[in-house]
Amino acid sequence: MATHAHIETSVRLRRSAGAYVTPVLATALLAVLIVWLGINFVKGPAYFFTISFIGLTNGAVYALVALGYTLVYGILGLINFAHGDVFMLGGMFSATMILSAFHLSTHASTGELVAAILVSLFVAMAACGLINATIERVAYRPLRGASRLAPLITAIGMSFILEDVAIAWKGPGYTAVPAVLPHGQVFSIDGVVYTWEKLIVVIITVPVLAALIWLVQRTRQGKAMRATAQDRDAAAMMGIDVNRTISFTFLIAGALAGAGGLVYALYFGQIRYDTGFQLGLIAFTAAVLGGIGNLPGAVLGALCIGFIQAYNEGLTWHAPGTNWTESIVFSILILILVFRPEGLLGERTPEGA
Amino acid sequence: MRRRIAERVSAAWWAALTRAGLSPARWQALPRLRRRAVKSVLWVAVGLVLVAAFGTWKASALAVAAVVILLVVPPYQKLMVGRFPLGKWIVPAAAIAIVISYPYYLNSMPQVPIFGPFPMLSTMVAMMIFSMMALGLNFVVGYAGLLDLGYVAFYAMGAYMAGWFASDQFSKQHLDLGAVGQTAGAIGFHFSLWLVLPMAGIATAIVGVIIGLPTLRLRGDYLAIVTLGFGEIMPQVANNGNSLFGFNLTNGPEGITPIDSPGFGGWLHQHLHLPANYVTVGNYDAVFLWTTLALVILTVFCSVRLRDSRLGRAWIAIREDEVAAAAMGIPLMRTKTWAYATGAFFGGVAGALYASYKSGAFPNDFFFQISVFILCMVILGGMGNIWGVIFGACFLSYLDREGLSNVGAWMNGHLGTHVNVPLYEFGIYGAIIVIVMLFRPEGLIPSSRRAAELHEGVHDDPLYDAETV
Amino acid sequence: MSRKFTLLALVGAAIAVAVVAAGYTGSARSATKGVQALPSSSCGPVVYKGSGSPDFIVASDLPLQGAIRAQTVQISRAIIWALQDKGWKAGAYKIGYQSCDDSTAQAGAWDSGKCATNARLYAGDKSVIGVVGTFNSGCAEIEVPILGRANPGPLGMVSPANTYPGLTKKWAPGEPNKYYPTGVRNYARVVATDDFQGPADALWTQSLGIKKVYVLNDRQVYGAGVAGTYVTAAKKLGITVVKNVGWDAKASSYEALAEAIKKSGAQAVFLGGIVCNNGAKLMQDIKAVNPKIQLQMPDGFSDPNANGAIGQSAYISVAGEPPKGLTGAGANFVKSFGKSVGATPNPYSAYGAQAMEVMLQAISVGGGQRSTTTKAIFGLNVRNGILGNFTIGASGDTNLTPVTIYKQKGKALIPVKTLVPAASLVG
Repeated sequence: MATHAHIETSVRLRRSAGAYVTPVLATALLAVLIVWLGINFVKGPAYFFTISFIGLTNGAVYALVALGYTLVYGILGLINFAHGDVFMLGGMFSATMILSAFHLSTHASTGELVAAILVSLFVAMAACGLINATIERVAYRPLRGASRLAPLITAIGMSFILEDVAIAWKGPGYTAVPAVLPHGQVFSIDGVVYTWEKLIVVIITVPVLAALIWLVQRTRQGKAMRATAQDRDAAAMMGIDVNRTISFTFLIAGALAGAGGLVYALYFGQIRYDTGFQLGLIAFTAAVLGGIGNLPGAVLGALCIGFIQAYNEGLTWHAPGTNWTESIVFSILILILVFRPEGLLGERTPEGA
Repeated sequence: MRRRIAERVSAAWWAALTRAGLSPARWQALPRLRRRAVKSVLWVAVGLVLVAAFGTWKASALAVAAVVILLVVPPYQKLMVGRFPLGKWIVPAAAIAIVISYPYYLNSMPQVPIFGPFPMLSTMVAMMIFSMMALGLNFVVGYAGLLDLGYVAFYAMGAYMAGWFASDQFSKQHLDLGAVGQTAGAIGFHFSLWLVLPMAGIATAIVGVIIGLPTLRLRGDYLAIVTLGFGEIMPQVANNGNSLFGFNLTNGPEGITPIDSPGFGGWLHQHLHLPANYVTVGNYDAVFLWTTLALVILTVFCSVRLRDSRLGRAWIAIREDEVAAAAMGIPLMRTKTWAYATGAFFGGVAGALYASYKSGAFPNDFFFQISVFILCMVILGGMGNIWGVIFGACFLSYLDREGLSNVGAWMNGHLGTHVNVPLYEFGIYGAIIVIVMLFRPEGLIPSSRRAAELHEGVHDDPLYDAETV
Repeated sequence: MSRKFTLLALVGAAIAVAVVAAGYTGSARSATKGVQALPSSSCGPVVYKGSGSPDFIVASDLPLQGAIRAQTVQISRAIIWALQDKGWKAGAYKIGYQSCDDSTAQAGAWDSGKCATNARLYAGDKSVIGVVGTFNSGCAEIEVPILGRANPGPLGMVSPANTYPGLTKKWAPGEPNKYYPTGVRNYARVVATDDFQGPADALWTQSLGIKKVYVLNDRQVYGAGVAGTYVTAAKKLGITVVKNVGWDAKASSYEALAEAIKKSGAQAVFLGGIVCNNGAKLMQDIKAVNPKIQLQMPDGFSDPNANGAIGQSAYISVAGEPPKGLTGAGANFVKSFGKSVGATPNPYSAYGAQAMEVMLQAISVGGGQRSTTTKAIFGLNVRNGILGNFTIGASGDTNLTPVTIYKQKGKALIPVKTLVPAASLVG
């Protein structure tokens, strides 16, 4: 794809106005943010940490979903709009497992709980992986030669179809999951309380992330994925089965979404057909913030978004408050895409500029 | 795969016919017109059988007439009167006549099987207004090939412009500019709606440029997401806008209501018998239908003229190959921004008119699904094709307003199901999007140019894909 | 040779025509004899179980899709119950009923376009003599002016649920006159407005000895309105209101918000809004962080089933006398209608039935004319109604302004106290 002319024009634009505006604006914004956080911190360090833990935990959930966006984008350059809804279905599978298969209640013993979570995790990951790979096979692969917008539009259609599948399955209301995770304290230092259910979210999330990074960095399949992401045609010429690699990527992304769904259902306690859309947008913002296509970037972005949301709603000194949370998240999305499309950790690519 | 099944069916069909003494060769030997006529009669027969299974003779007669007109008479298109190509104008003129006279014959129309009664006038108004919005989006998506997932922001902007300049919203000011039906002691800005409509269009176009200037540098999918972000922020600002730094801009969740209606005032009413004030005439929906029809015609006119203009050709060039277009000296940013502004303009006008029709603007009216709803209209009908887009808009807004609930009622009544069909509205739209994109990306009524692009793809074909299609 | 094809086609057509002729059953237009039914795209079929055919239709206008559906369907059934109770008659007139929907599946809530469309349908259908509705005040803002301009004569509307004060009394600039462009009132309600409920809640907060409250609202017309009146009254009563902020119904968690509430030192939280807007999760998160905090809610949280166990010992205010305290018609309603729905009726169902009764009473004295019927609504005296004895004033408001505070106990609401806020607190 020859994009030289395009790069040329955009570079010219960047030099004329953006060269000064962007860094100045970014520095000013960052400075305001740091001062604001600092004053809030000084006004109540213990409280600040409590809010930070909330942000950390939410961010961990976002990370699982954001990674799926980033994986798929990295390899296909496609924003998989339906990813959030696959995540939502994962939550529905988990809720069904917990409620109907294990009949877990708030008083489950630890052994029961661990077994149920592990089995549910496996089921949700497997089911969502398969769903995601199927969607790719049915809806995206036939359009691979077509214009870039075609699969994106199809993805939006798929997203709505999946939502209606959930409506038909669980109805339009919330599916509540009992608070099965223990709520006891892990530690409590100077009024900073860290509870078990938050730790469990991290305990589930971190190994999944580690396994993913190992898979992409260390295995043959991961190498194939990276090669395909870099140059599909060259990878094909080197004997990599590109179609299989892409299917595999969607499988992995779906599995991550499934894990995210389980964690969401367990931690937040309820899920509805449109949960995936809302959270998907947030997670996508996280992926963009970190640098789309970049795995550690997605995690970093997700944590940042988690922190920003929690600070906005939780901090008391001049926080814009819940009225504006969504606007802030989407403003970040817009600002990042406009001024730094490569994100925090990404490299400058022609895609964004 | 699909091809093979179709071929097999066709082969079996011809085998049967050949046995009956009608071979393909003979069929091909017939004059084209005759073949067409036979085919049409067969289609009519199929239609009649279907109608007979469910409906009434009036509906059957209507179906027959429609099919006959559509299929048997196609050569009319070449009809010339002197040097005037009358044939080309028959279909648009007939369509306009059908819509204009709709209020007069609606009440004597029979029920259509499955779909129930003909659309109400208010539904027709919605169909016209959404046609306008879809045509507006068509500038962006269809002509310039930029995916806009936040079109609802323009609709909202237009609606709030009507709210600001044709209602009591700014209670501390009072300015009356040709508004009709004002009582003494009115507060707020009350501009004539004929003034508000272009104002809304221009203000929305400016918003379009403001959104566009920084974002249009981005490539397609990133742009789509940024517009989506704007579309999500807009209703939230509207919702929180009752105390933006202490200023009540949007009246928050309570919305702005009532909004003035259009009207021509006393003088024009006396001399030309135009309605003085729409709300006080008996046939509110009918006059609104005619007004919206006039605006749709205007939009179509602008669409055609712009498409064939230098700017329109530049849009299409960008859509087909941005790099090549830039190399040919087309200023990318300016051209794209124009597409955005034009699309926004019509979205704003339609939004203002709709707000006036509903007499209210509420933040809850503007959610992401509406953007997809309008996008779906453009895709279903055929990106870039004016008639296709209008068809998509009319069909989908009909489904939204009446069709789905009627079909659902029929289904539950006749098949014994208990499905709340309107609940699955968006799943149905999703399915439409996916099916159209996979099997007929050019839409139901394609523009030939767009069809070629979508089938071949504008990017070079990747190597590895050869065996999968 | 070509004749064969033509022949084939003609035979096909002939068969089709024959089938059509055989299948002809006459016009499919569905109209109940006597009245012109409202179309099926907005409204259900005409419900009439009296003798002969109805003379007029009363339509109800409620959002029947989305999260609110369970509640509104019950209101619609309560309206039918009231009509049945009166023998499908209003004085000399036989009355049929149609349940119309002002929501779209797309929005999952009321839709302003649908409200406008419905209002024009009622206005244009001469069989419609009155409307019971709407559920959402925003929808009423759109419908009232349209019905007021209806021809012939303004069409009256009695709402069972609109609590936004501006619809009937001086509130925001221009209100309420902007809703009555012809200068004739055509809108009344049987429910006390926010400016009574908010102050009553504030009074209760005060009597609990609470000095500091945190107020949340769901950023909708009703929620923001009731929260606003609560804040005004609470400040007058000397209660510190830390903040009045919106909650996002689509958020995954409110933990950070809950921490902020806890840190503020508020002893109680007032949730202005409806439980359908993720209210249960909100309560859970607030309680999880601070189990001791007192929850106080308006009647948007009046369904203990929707609140769930977390609503235990929360105080919920509902306008009017408690159903259990109702005697006569009210007690009969709770018993008889409760039996038909298999549960204690939702408080709004009683309002729905009462609104229908008011409408029927107005029709019976209205002489079969829209304008006189509409006029009859104002100044109407209701004796032994479902909600008790009350009068609809000239502005269309009920003088039944007591507000009952309930405490949730399990899946029931136990009346605690009935309050009448002083005039100085109202408005």
